[in-house]
Amino acid sequence: MLRSQLRRQSHSTASGATHARVQNMVVFSVAGKRLAARTEEIGGVLPWPGTTAVPSDTPFVTSLVRHEESCLPVFDLAAKFNRTVGEEESLCLIVKHVDGPLAICIDAQVPSLHVVPRSEVQYQNGLDPDIAGSCVAGDEQLPLINLATLGVASQRLA
Amino acid sequence: MGLRGQRAVTLSSGQAVRFLVALIGGSSIAFPAQWVHGIVMPASAGSDGLVTWAGMDYERTDLSVRLKIVSKGSSPDTRLILYGNEERSRSFAVDKVLGLLDVERALIHPLPPQFRGKERERLLGFFVDTSSVALIANPFWVLELPLRPHALEMFAIRFAERKPGESDSRLHVPVATVDETVSMSTSPVS
Repeated sequence: MLRSQLRRQSHSTASGATHARVQNMVVFSVAGKRLAARTEEIGGVLPWPGTTAVPSDTPFVTSLVRHEESCLPVFDLAAKFNRTVGEEESLCLIVKHVDGPLAICIDAQVPSLHVVPRSEVQYQNGLDPDIAGSCVAGDEQLPLINLATLGVASQRLA
Repeated sequence: MGLRGQRAVTLSSGQAVRFLVALIGGSSIAFPAQWVHGIVMPASAGSDGLVTWAGMDYERTDLSVRLKIVSKGSSPDTRLILYGNEERSRSFAVDKVLGLLDVERALIHPLPPQFRGKERERLLGFFVDTSSVALIANPFWVLELPLRPHALEMFAIRFAERKPGESDSRLHVPVATVDETVSMSTSPVS
C-alpha cells in the first residue's frame, strides 16, 4: 500500500533543485509514539504476520517474522521506548537496514507521507544514536529515527 | 507443526540435513539428528539426573535454561533426548518430540546479522516449515564442546549418493518408551 505512494512521490520530487530542498518523510507510530523516518529507508508496509521468538541476547532483536520464503529479524522499537505494542492490530514496517531487511511492528494506523523542507529538519547528536534529530511534518514536531542503522550504533556504544 | 514421524521439506536433490524437531516452551527447536542416540521417558533418569543407556552415561543439561526459553514443565509429552558424539554425551528434556525432518540444505537459513549476541553460538539458524519456524540448536553448544565454524556442514547428507532402499547407518535412532505416534523410522527419503 505504501510502496505505490512512495514510487509516485519519488517521481514527483526526484528532479534537481526541488529534491535538494526537501526530504521525503514517512510518519508512523509505535505504541502511540509518533516518529518520522526517511522514505528511502523504508521497503514497504505489510499486515503484521506474527512472530517466532528467538532466545536472543541482542537488545530489542528477539524474534523473526515470516516474509516471502524466509524470515526477517524484528526490531522491537516499542520496547526501546519502554512501550508495548498490541500485535493483534498492527502493521509490519519493512526497513532497508544496513545489515539486511528488518521488520518493525508499528501501530495499525497506515503511515503517512510528507514532503518536508530541509529547513524543517534538524540533525543533532543526542544521547540516542538511533535518533538523528527532529523534523516538522504536518505541523507536528517529531523525532527523526535512523531506521537504516537501528541498533547498530547504540550497540557499539554499549 | 505436525512433524510427528518422519517428513521431508522439499527434498528435490543435493544435500539435506536430518533434524529431530522438539518443542521447548513455545519454540520449535531442531537438533541435527545424527547425534541423537535415543529418546527416553523422564523416569529413565536416576535421582542424580544421569541416564544410563546402552552402557553409556548421559549427564543432564538443562537446555531450556541455557537457551533462555521458559519450558512448559513436566507433562505426559515430556521426553529426555540422549544426545552425544564420540567425545561427549548429554541428556536434556524437551516438552514434546515432534519428529524427524529432512530439510534441504538450501532451505536452511543462518540467523540474520542483526542478531549480534551469544545467540549466534547457541543457534545455527532456522528453517521455515509449512506453519512455523524451527530454530536450529548448535550441536556443539548443546554438548558444551568447543564451537566450530560451519558446524552444520558436517551433518549434511548428500541424498544423490544414496541408492534406493539403502539406509544411512548414521541415522539409527534407538527409541525407548516413546508412544507409538513418534515413529523414528530410518528408512531413506527419496
